[in-house]
Amino acid sequence: MKYTSAILTLAVLAAGAFWWVSGISPDAPLAIENARVRLVPGGGPMAGYMDIRNHSDAQIRLVEARSGAFGRVMIHRSVLEGGRAAMQHQAGGVRIEPGEVVSFEPGGLHLMLMQPQQTLKVGDPVEIVLEFDGIEPRLRPVSFTVVPVTAP
Amino acid sequence: MLLAMLLGGCGDESFHGKDISHLMPPLDFELVDERGEAVTEQVFAGRPVAMYFGFTHCPDVCPTTLARLAAAARRLPEQARGRLQLAFVSVDPARDGPAQLAAYTAAFSEDMVGLTGSQRQLQALTRRYRITYGYDERDAAGNYDVSHSSAVWVFNERLEPEVMLFDDLSIEQVADDLGRVVGGGEIP
Repeated sequence: MKYTSAILTLAVLAAGAFWWVSGISPDAPLAIENARVRLVPGGGPMAGYMDIRNHSDAQIRLVEARSGAFGRVMIHRSVLEGGRAAMQHQAGGVRIEPGEVVSFEPGGLHLMLMQPQQTLKVGDPVEIVLEFDGIEPRLRPVSFTVVPVTAP
Repeated sequence: MLLAMLLGGCGDESFHGKDISHLMPPLDFELVDERGEAVTEQVFAGRPVAMYFGFTHCPDVCPTTLARLAAAARRLPEQARGRLQLAFVSVDPARDGPAQLAAYTAAFSEDMVGLTGSQRQLQALTRRYRITYGYDERDAAGNYDVSHSSAVWVFNERLEPEVMLFDDLSIEQVADDLGRVVGGGEIP
């Protein structure tokens, strides 16, 4: 009985250590999920979407993004007002408060991915490096998946 | 029978979008299509048209709206879908040449045609429907944003305006309004 509980305790500790080392703990201070690039043909800019989760107890700010697959990446927000559509550059970055999830999604926040450097196809992985303020390491390479332009 | 099916999804007779029938003049334009040929509104004669004004260097809103429009059109019964013409009018002719437009519209639907024109031609069409568009200042790399209308304009087969569809409608509601316009005339 004692042995069983000791083994269980060790197993739980080992699993905890593994989580911590591998960074897949559900309590990772910063998680980026559902990262995708919507494929637009013709060489024009595409949009990158994702959910950014801040599990830390401090404010985090996404300040910049860059990628070898695109000549330039900007953080934008689409604004739909009174039947008109326009884009706003988020010069100050995007704040993610402690415990908050900020979603980059169609019709709102998006990474504007300009000057594609290669021909992409659906299913391709694209690495985009996100730079944050308020958390270490500041640079987070994230693998985005190319999805069809008709995907949500 | 088909008409009954089309109207079956909705109890009342009004559109989900903004009803603009009798409020605006029929379609009338001179533009250039995605093959580079000069066309007028007669290219659509006899077919209902769903028209959107945007630009291809619009990574977020335009693809979202066009993909929703194409998805709604695919919900129509086959015969109705075959009659409906989807049109994308670029208000950014400096960047949107015929090849660019053709590649862009093909990504959404084989029933979508790309159109653009000179500033004079585009202004003649957009003023007709009280639509405005404008260009932001260029950044260091020469890129610029274009503000544009977010609505889809739907014309019947006589090219008379019927309804404006905004982003707040569901795909089902858009399909319902499209079906109402497409099914409103004679079904061949």
